[in-house]
Amino acid sequence: MNEVALLYNYLAVGGALFALGLVGFLVRRNMIVMFLCAEMMLQGISLNLVAFGRYHNDWGGQMLVIFIITVAACEAAIAMALVLMLAQRAGKLDSAAWQDLREEGQPPYVDHKVPEEPVEEQDWPRLTPAGPAPRIDEQIVLHRPRV
Amino acid sequence: MTRPLLAALPKWQELATCPTFWALALGALGLWLLSPTRLRLGKSLGSLLLAAAGALLAYDLPRLGGWADQGVFWLLAAVTLGAAVAMISSHSPVYSAIWFALSLLGTAALFLYQGAQFLGVATIVVYAGAIVVTFLFVIMLAQPEGHSAYDRLTWGGLPKVLGVVTAGALFGILTFMLGALKNEASAASRAAPPAAAAARAATGAADAAVRAAPNVRRDPGGVLHDRHVANLGRRLFSEHLISLEAAGTLLLVALVGAVAIAIQGRPRLAERIEEALR
Repeated sequence: MNEVALLYNYLAVGGALFALGLVGFLVRRNMIVMFLCAEMMLQGISLNLVAFGRYHNDWGGQMLVIFIITVAACEAAIAMALVLMLAQRAGKLDSAAWQDLREEGQPPYVDHKVPEEPVEEQDWPRLTPAGPAPRIDEQIVLHRPRV
Repeated sequence: MTRPLLAALPKWQELATCPTFWALALGALGLWLLSPTRLRLGKSLGSLLLAAAGALLAYDLPRLGGWADQGVFWLLAAVTLGAAVAMISSHSPVYSAIWFALSLLGTAALFLYQGAQFLGVATIVVYAGAIVVTFLFVIMLAQPEGHSAYDRLTWGGLPKVLGVVTAGALFGILTFMLGALKNEASAASRAAPPAAAAARAATGAADAAVRAAPNVRRDPGGVLHDRHVANLGRRLFSEHLISLEAAGTLLLVALVGAVAIAIQGRPRLAERIEEALR
């Protein structure tokens, strides 16, 4: 296999993963999705490190990735506790709910127009009918109208 | 200071004939369309543009060698990047977490493809098995209704454009800085055309070792040796012993800290009783 091309391809994929995570972090407002995007940036870095480790036949890259995974696990535990606490206080996961922390003199961010929920997202699954419809006793219906 | 930087910038003619540049432009436009928006055709048009961008980028990357190697790499990269795009563009956070798990599986497969066996399995076990499941728990605890208005919104028009442009510029700068490496890789793949490599691969399984840098594979302490995990463990517990202990301590501290934060978050029991009595 062409080792230089392998290195370059992995660097490109890692860089693309990092850029996608960056877009997600800047664009999304849900705190948990923002955190997932940060984890994805870490994945891009890990790909780069492993590729460099293989190219130079050195264990340093893989060792660093092992510690990245460890630190990411710690970070996830603490961040989840913090996010859960923030969500309990604000009642939602929106990071705009905490914009009181902004710099002094900045105008507040206000949503001008909240888009409607698209119709296709409210489409619930339907079970296909299997067998004939059961006969319902009228006495039972009178007694237990909600069942 | 600025003069060498300006001289190093690419000319417009070079940019116009560079597939990576057009892939970046198409990809940025597709991401802009895919991020939460009010446009009706945004999703399908954006995914189409991103697919075109991925194809252009794959066309511009230097070839790996045989068609089997190349195909497997393209498949894994497409799964990883496609799941990443779906993650940042899906409206429901639960879908986002599941797409992230798929992207992690792709990354783990890419690790395995590099010969990093332990890391591939550890990524699946730690990330997809533990972290993503924790994320799902927290999403279902904090947002049980599923969809919400702020998942369909961004910070407005200009910040969205700026975010996409920033990421595109970052990727462009990274690939531009690696231009020399790319030229070297293209020269190496032209020296060994894929047809010859495929013919060599067809002659026998023994050639597999020859294709992948023979001296690297025979190096008993190298990353590609058969006793991969044994070597890794020896390094980890000898050279990196202090880092390992520090990481273990960090895990303990994080555990205690997470519990402390979670307890602090809710009002104390005495306060709750007072409120109930009032």
